[in-house]
Amino acid sequence: MLPYPLLLLYRNFKRFKGTFFINLVGLSTGLACALLIYLWVSDERSFDRYHVLDSRLYQVLENRRTAAGIETQTGTNPLLAEALRREMPELDLVATTTPVPFFPGFTLAAGGQHLNAVPKYADPAFFQLFSYPLLVGTPATVLRNKDAIVLSEALATKLFRSPQNSLGKAVEWQMADRKQTCLVAGVFADVPRNSSEQFDCVLPFAAFKNMMHLGEVIKWDDDGPFTTYLALKQGADLAQFQAKLAGLLKTKSAQAQAQAQGRTLFVRPFSAGYLHGTYENGVATGGRIVYVRLFALIAGLILVIASINFMNLFTAKASRRVKEVGIRKALGASRAALVIQYLTESVVMALLALVVAVGLVQLVLPQFSALTGKPLTLRWEWPLVAAGLALALGTGLLAGSYPAFYLSGFQPATVLKGKVPTRAGDVWTRQGLVVLQFTLSVLFIVAVVVVNAQLAFVQRQPLGYDKAHVLRFDTGGRAARQQAAFLAEVRKLPGVVQASSVLGGFLGGRHVEEMRWRGRRLPVATMLVNYDLVETMGIHLVAGRSFAPQFRADSAAILVNQTLVASLGMPDPVGQQLDGGRIVGVVRDFHYESLHEKIKPLLLQLDPSINTVLVKLQPGAEQPTIAQLQQLYAAYNPGFTLDYSFLDVDYQAQYVAERRVAVLARYFAGLAILISALGLLGLAAFTAERRRKEIGIRKALGASELGIVWLLTSSLTWLVVAAIALALPLSYLLLQRWLEGFAYRVAWQWWYFAAAGLGALLIAWLTVSVQAWRAARRHPVLSLRAE
Amino acid sequence: MTAYPKNMNPMIKTENLEKVYRTEEVQTKALNHVSLTVEQGEFVAIMGPSGCGKSTLLNLLGLLDEPDGGSLQLLGTETSRYSERQRAELRKRSLGFVFQSFNLIDELTVFENVELPLRYLGVGAAERRQRVEQVLEKMQLLHRRNHFPLQLSGGQQQRAAVARAVVNAPPLLLADEPTGNLDSASGHDVLGLLTELNEAGTTVLMVTHSEHDARYARRVVRLLDGQVVLEHSRSQF
Ligand SMILES: Nc1ncnc2c1ncn2[C@@H]1O[C@H](COP(=O)(O)OP(=O)(O)OP(=O)(O)O)[C@@H](O)[C@H]1O
Ligand SMILES: [Mg+2]
Repeated sequence: MLPYPLLLLYRNFKRFKGTFFINLVGLSTGLACALLIYLWVSDERSFDRYHVLDSRLYQVLENRRTAAGIETQTGTNPLLAEALRREMPELDLVATTTPVPFFPGFTLAAGGQHLNAVPKYADPAFFQLFSYPLLVGTPATVLRNKDAIVLSEALATKLFRSPQNSLGKAVEWQMADRKQTCLVAGVFADVPRNSSEQFDCVLPFAAFKNMMHLGEVIKWDDDGPFTTYLALKQGADLAQFQAKLAGLLKTKSAQAQAQAQGRTLFVRPFSAGYLHGTYENGVATGGRIVYVRLFALIAGLILVIASINFMNLFTAKASRRVKEVGIRKALGASRAALVIQYLTESVVMALLALVVAVGLVQLVLPQFSALTGKPLTLRWEWPLVAAGLALALGTGLLAGSYPAFYLSGFQPATVLKGKVPTRAGDVWTRQGLVVLQFTLSVLFIVAVVVVNAQLAFVQRQPLGYDKAHVLRFDTGGRAARQQAAFLAEVRKLPGVVQASSVLGGFLGGRHVEEMRWRGRRLPVATMLVNYDLVETMGIHLVAGRSFAPQFRADSAAILVNQTLVASLGMPDPVGQQLDGGRIVGVVRDFHYESLHEKIKPLLLQLDPSINTVLVKLQPGAEQPTIAQLQQLYAAYNPGFTLDYSFLDVDYQAQYVAERRVAVLARYFAGLAILISALGLLGLAAFTAERRRKEIGIRKALGASELGIVWLLTSSLTWLVVAAIALALPLSYLLLQRWLEGFAYRVAWQWWYFAAAGLGALLIAWLTVSVQAWRAARRHPVLSLRAE
Repeated sequence: MTAYPKNMNPMIKTENLEKVYRTEEVQTKALNHVSLTVEQGEFVAIMGPSGCGKSTLLNLLGLLDEPDGGSLQLLGTETSRYSERQRAELRKRSLGFVFQSFNLIDELTVFENVELPLRYLGVGAAERRQRVEQVLEKMQLLHRRNHFPLQLSGGQQQRAAVARAVVNAPPLLLADEPTGNLDSASGHDVLGLLTELNEAGTTVLMVTHSEHDARYARRVVRLLDGQVVLEHSRSQF
C-alpha cells in the first residue's frame, strides 16, 4: 500500500491520464533537450581549462595594421620569448612553440615501425606551463637536451610497448626531405580530448631553431608563425604587463621601430582562445562562443516553453478540481494542508519528468554525440545534479503554486459551486503562451528550410574548379626529395588523369601581402603551386598560358585571377609586371576558400618543391589506382604508408558547423513543434471540458458538428495566425544575419515563409480539431448529465 | 456520540447578519439583517422559496463564507472577525456539513471520504479506522467502504456524505437539502439519521423545501428575500 499522499497522486494520474501523459511528455522532452545542450555547452566550456596554471596562463597575440584593417594573429617571433624572459620580471615561465598544423607528413620510425605523428616543438618550460602529466621524465628537464623527444603514451606504447620501456630509446623522425635521430626523454599522458591542440610528440624548440638556422636569419621585424605562451607570477598586475608588452616592439630593431606604429603585442588568457578566437579589426568578436550562446538560448527557450506548458496544463487540470478544494476546506482542511497537497503533486510530477528526461538523454546520447562530434557522457557531477533538480523543483513549485495559493484562497462557498471566476490575466497567460510557442516553432521551421537551402546552394554553386575524384596527400622522404620524378611516375599510372602539388593543400586561406601596380596597392593572396595545377584542378584559363617546364623563365612567372585584374583595372594583364612577377596568364575566378569568403585577388606562383600532392583520378577506377599509388609511394619510402584524403571530403569539411546547425535546427524544430502541439492539445482539451455543457446544450438546440468544431478551434486558430505574423519577420531578421556569414548565398523565396506558416497552422489545426471533433460528436445527453 | 460540555450560551446567535453578492451589473442582497438564535440541542428547519438566501445563510453559519455585516456567534464566541486559520480550526472541530449536492471527492473511496475530517483533526490511524467503521456501519455502508462515489447510488452517496459530516461528532450539523436528490425512502433514512443524531445531543440545522421533511424538525424558520419572516415551533404549526 502506498503512503497516503502518493496514493492520492496515483489516483489522480489515473483519472486524468491524458493530461498526465501530455504533461509528462512535454516537460520531459523539454528537460531532455536542455540537458543535452547543457552537456554540449559544458563540454565546449571545458576546453583548455584543465591546466593547473589556468588562471595565470596567457598567449601572446599581435595586432597588425594592414591595408585591409587591423589583423589579429597568433603567430609571434621566436625572439619574443627570450626578450620576455630577460626583460619581464613579472613572468614565471615563457615558452615558444610551433603551432600544431605546421608539419605535414611527419613520421616517426623505431624498430622497423613507421608511424605518422603530429609533432610540436617547444621551449623547455612547456611541460611546466601546461598540465600534460608526464608518466616518464620531469617537467622542468625533459626538453632540455637538443636531441630529446617526448612521446605521448599511445605513441610510446605503439613503438616500445610501454611508456617505461621507451625511456632512452632512439627514434628517427622524418619530414619531407629531412630526418634526424633523437632519444626518448619522457612520456606524457595522451592529450585530453578537450584540448584545442592535439599532438603526439614534443621536441625541443632549440632543435628546430638549429635545423632551420633560425638563429642566424630571424630578425625582430619578422613575424613568425610561432606561438608564445607565458605564465604571470602570482599577484602580478595584468594591466601593467599589457602596457609594457604593447611598448616592447618599439625598443627593438630600427626597422621594427618604424613598423611599431602598426604593431601591438597583447596577451589573452590561454583558455579563452578556444571560444573567443575571432577578431575583427583588432577587437575580439566571439568565435565558437556565438554557437555556445545561441544553443544556450535555445535550450533556455525550450525549457521555458516546456515549463510554462506544464504549469498551464497543471493549472487547467487543477481548475477542474476546484470543487474538491471547497469540500476539503469545508471539512476543516487548513490552507497549508491544501498548499502542501498541490505542491507535492506538481513537484512529484516534475521529478518524474526529470527521471524520464534522464532516460531520454541516455537513449539519444549516442546519436547526439555523433552529431556534435563529441563523445559526450552523462556524468553525475554535482552541478549537473543540482541544475537538474533545481529545474525540476522550480518548475514543479511554480506549476503547483497557482492552484496551491490561488485556488486555496477562495471562500469554500465560492468554489463549492465547481467554478472559479476566470481572471483576465490567466486567459492572457494561456494565449500568450500559445503565441510564444508557435512563434518559436515557425522560427525553427523557417530556419530548417533556409539552412538546408543554403547547404544545397553550397553544393550547387559552380566553384570554378572540379573537386571530384581528386586525391590529396603529403609526401615525405625520397618522394619529397625527388618530387618531380615522383610526380612524373604518378602521372604515368593508368587511372591517373593528372597530378600536381600545392603548398599546404588546395582549400583554405592563403598568405596575403600588399602588392603594388602603377602606384595602386592591393592585398593579394599567394598560392604556391607546381606545374599542371591548373590542369589537374580543371581551372579555366581565360588569357595567356599556364606554367610549363619548357619556359625556363617561369620561376618569375605568375598567374593571376580575374578579381585581381578587375581590382587593379589592368587593361591588358598578360605580360604586366606585378611586384617582381611577370603575369603569363589569367585564370577564371575559383573558390579556393569556403563560400563564406568572397573571392579575393589571388596570384599563383611556381614552386616545384612543394609537397602536398593532388592527383586527379579517372572516375570509376579509384580503388585500383589508389592501390598502385600506395605501391609507388612505398617504393620511394619503404615502410611508410600513404595518408590520403579526397578533396570533396575536405570541401564538405568546410561546412561541418553549418551542417550541424542544419541537423540541430531540424531537431529543435521537431521538439518545439511537439511541445507546442502538446500544449495546444492540453489547452483544447481543457476548453472542450469547460464548455462541455455548453456544447451539449448547443447540440440539443440543433448546432451542427462542424459548427461546434469551428466554435472550439476558431479562437486558437487566430492565436496561431498571430504567432505566424510575429515569427515571419523575426525569422527573416535572424536568418538573414546567419546568411550574411556567407559571401555567396541563396536568395529568399516567398515559399520559405509560406511553407513554415502553413505547416504550423496545419499542425495546430490537426491537434485542436481531433479534440474538437471528439467533443462535438459526444451525445448531447452525455454532456448535459455530466455537470 | 461523545459528550461535550454544555454551557449557557446558544449554539448560534446572529444579529443583523448581511450578505451582498456583487457582480459587474447587479448587487444582490442575499441576506438582509438576519437575526436568529439556535439553542444547543435544537433541530431547526430553514424553509423558503428558491433564491431567498437559505444556502447563503447556511454557508455563513458554517463559516464557508464571510458576512458583509452583522455579528455571528457560535457557542458564545464572535466569529465574524476570525482569521482564515481560526475558521478552519473551528470548522474541523465543531461543524459537520451535508451539502445540497453530495459533494464527495471522486478520487477517494467511501472510507477515505468519511475519514477525511479525522485526518485533518490529526486522529491516529487505528482510531480513525475504528470510528469510520462505526459510522459506516450505522449508515449501512460498511460493505461499500472501498467503493468510489461514482459506483454508488444517489441515496448511498448522501448517506456517505452524512457519515462524513458526523464522523468527528461535531456539536453542530448543517445540512443543505439533504434529501433534495433522493427518493422518498432514501430521504426517510437520512432524516431518521439526523433525528437520531439530534436525540444524541447534536444541534441540527437543515434547509429544506419540503413541508414533509420539515416535520422532523422541532422549529421552522421561514426566509423570504433574505429576511426572516416567521419562526415557529412544530407544535404551533
Ligand atoms: N456567487 C453568487 N454571486 C451572485 N449572486 C449569488 C451568488 N450566490 C447566490 N447568489 C444570489 O443570492 C440569492 C440567494 O441565493 P441562495 O443560493 O442562498 O438561494 P437558496 O435560497 O439557497 O435557493 P435554492 O432553494 O434554489 O437553493 C439568489 O438571488 C442568488 O441569485
Ligand atoms: Mg440552496
